[in-house]
Amino acid sequence: MSLGQLTSALRSGMKLVLAALREIFDEGAYRRFLARERMDPSCRSYREFRREHELAKARRPRCC
Amino acid sequence: MIAVLGALALGTIALHRGEQINAMWLVIAAFCAYSLAYRFYSKFVSARVLALDPQRATPAERLENGRDFVPTNKWVVFGHHFAAIAGPGPLVGPVLAAQFGYLPGTLWILAGAVFGGCVQDFVILLFSVRRDGKSLTEMAREEVGRAGGLVAYLAVISIIVILLGAGSLIVVNALKASPWGVFTIAMTIPIALLMGLYLRRLRPGKVLEVSVLGFILVMLAIWGGQWVSQSSSMAPWFTMSAPAVAVAIIIYGFAASVLPVWLLLAPRDYLSTFVKLGTIGLLAIGIIALHPTLHMPPLTRFTDGSGPVFAGKIFPFAFITIACGAISGFHSLISSGTTPKMIRREPEARMVGYGAMMCESMVAIMATVAACVLQPGTYFAINSPAGIVGKAAETAVATISGWGFPVTIATMQSLAHAVGEQTLFNRTGGAPAFAVGMAHIFSSSLGGQAVMAIWYHFAIMFEALFILTTIDAGTRVGRFMLQDAFGHIWEPMGRTSWYPSILGTSGLIVAAWGYFLWQGVKDPLGGINSLWPLFGIANQLLATVALCVATTIVIKMRKARFCFVTLVPLGWLVAVTFTASWHKIFDPNPRIGFLAHARQLTSSPALVPDLSRLILNDRLDALVTGVLVFMVALILVESAFLWLRVLIGRKTVSVRESAFVATRFATEEQG
Repeated sequence: MSLGQLTSALRSGMKLVLAALREIFDEGAYRRFLARERMDPSCRSYREFRREHELAKARRPRCC
Repeated sequence: MIAVLGALALGTIALHRGEQINAMWLVIAAFCAYSLAYRFYSKFVSARVLALDPQRATPAERLENGRDFVPTNKWVVFGHHFAAIAGPGPLVGPVLAAQFGYLPGTLWILAGAVFGGCVQDFVILLFSVRRDGKSLTEMAREEVGRAGGLVAYLAVISIIVILLGAGSLIVVNALKASPWGVFTIAMTIPIALLMGLYLRRLRPGKVLEVSVLGFILVMLAIWGGQWVSQSSSMAPWFTMSAPAVAVAIIIYGFAASVLPVWLLLAPRDYLSTFVKLGTIGLLAIGIIALHPTLHMPPLTRFTDGSGPVFAGKIFPFAFITIACGAISGFHSLISSGTTPKMIRREPEARMVGYGAMMCESMVAIMATVAACVLQPGTYFAINSPAGIVGKAAETAVATISGWGFPVTIATMQSLAHAVGEQTLFNRTGGAPAFAVGMAHIFSSSLGGQAVMAIWYHFAIMFEALFILTTIDAGTRVGRFMLQDAFGHIWEPMGRTSWYPSILGTSGLIVAAWGYFLWQGVKDPLGGINSLWPLFGIANQLLATVALCVATTIVIKMRKARFCFVTLVPLGWLVAVTFTASWHKIFDPNPRIGFLAHARQLTSSPALVPDLSRLILNDRLDALVTGVLVFMVALILVESAFLWLRVLIGRKTVSVRESAFVATRFATEEQG
């Protein structure tokens, strides 16, 4: 494996880890909310996202 | 090559007697077992039993709405699923079960995960994917019958209550008489408030960024805790007795359930997840890089059932003590919750369901290592309740040394001093022993003995923060479940935003787990002796329900010849949980049987304070265990009759899967 391939593999690995973290920390869900509601990131849109998101999230059991 | 290496590692950990072994043998054995199981067994299950179909569209694709149903990259779903299933359970159970030695726990974690836990998570995930992401309760009602649905519902609510009681007891035992620990955890509240305001006002939606900021502040709080614990004016403010910590947690649980979540709870949840993922990664790197020696023998004298941490023989008690790292019914709720709505292609369910559980099992192996690197005398001094080894340090060290595990008061004092605690005697519950083990591993390299106290309190903070997050989320979930149920009786009670309903149902849930917590705090045997087995039984009974549902679906799919895949772990769990329940109710040994303990208390009234309450607690625990077993027996009988009628041709059935729709992702990939 050449240095270029290694760098590219590392970069895509990092992107994947970051994407997983964004999903775990609900950043992905917020981005989808903005796209769905055609809103820009703002205090108001985030408040609405949280209201919608928490209603669903609060019903999910947390594992032991 | 991997098989040979795995056999060598397993042989080493199983057959070495009288010599200490390196922790890497456990890691290698686990790695090889998981690799082989994933490569061959999970492939067999996915190809022959479940017949995963790469052409079939998943609900994430068919019902995509950008909210719940979102086709997501498999690695992202894997991370999301792992973060959801990883809890304090795989860290606590193996530490408690280490009283038998490292061997029973390790073998159960490996075999239980490969043949039980991973299979359960995988099949339930796939069956939910094929049913538009339906929950376990819904699948139980549709595939098994009405009793199945009801039992699944009651099992879920029971396990939540018992889990919250046992979890909060672990926090109490970790924080009692520990000003450093209490200060650190107390500081997470203003830190979370700050994070909440930052997210809401300054940088909306930048959760990763604010979690890093919160983590730095928590590290500063841990550092500051040292100063607080050494300050004669500050330390008394944060030095709390066990009942005081318990009351604080009960008040916190109630407040968390009735107040809006955005300001405090959501940021704490993010912070807790951030710390959890970081700590698990750090521990993995630490064990591999430092490969410590295990001081615990493979088997201890307590295999006979006389253990001080909890009473009972290896069978069945080791198998209910370690639940989450081997097989956990709770995972079936996650596998039939958010995850099935994110799976992009059916074959990816194998990596997410089977693979994530393998990682969870690896966490349990790491917890075993953390407990077993301690000198056995130290381990037992920390984990034995005062009711067994005595309140005075002299009596405790004499009793423990008499068992053949030498320990001195000087050793324990020096260890307590090194980790910044007043004492480490009788710190039951598993969390302090895990924290000492983790600090021991890291202090041999990163910063040395000088920072051992920081590592210890980091581990305590991690477990306490994580359990508290489970408590506030669990209390809310329990509240919603009660509101749903009461809403069928009186409609206003079902309104989730109606304050009388919120206060009433929150009060009920908090009172239920608060009762178990209070009972544990006041228990002369430490509480964990009663509560953890009860939690293990409830959790494994939920796994029994999940495997009943899975077996039913496999038989309905006309794959009865392969039903051993779920039937064998189901049979094992039935044997384990029913035997454990029988022992916990009827065993004549008062340290094991609830009723025998109640009888013992009745016959020696003069010696025991709060006698009638202790007797009532024992009888209530026996009743709860009996009711749980009865409910699961109902679903077992209902399932078995259904299987029989299908197999002898008395009943024609069809699977209730959603209709086949071809996926567009297959053609996109080909194109």
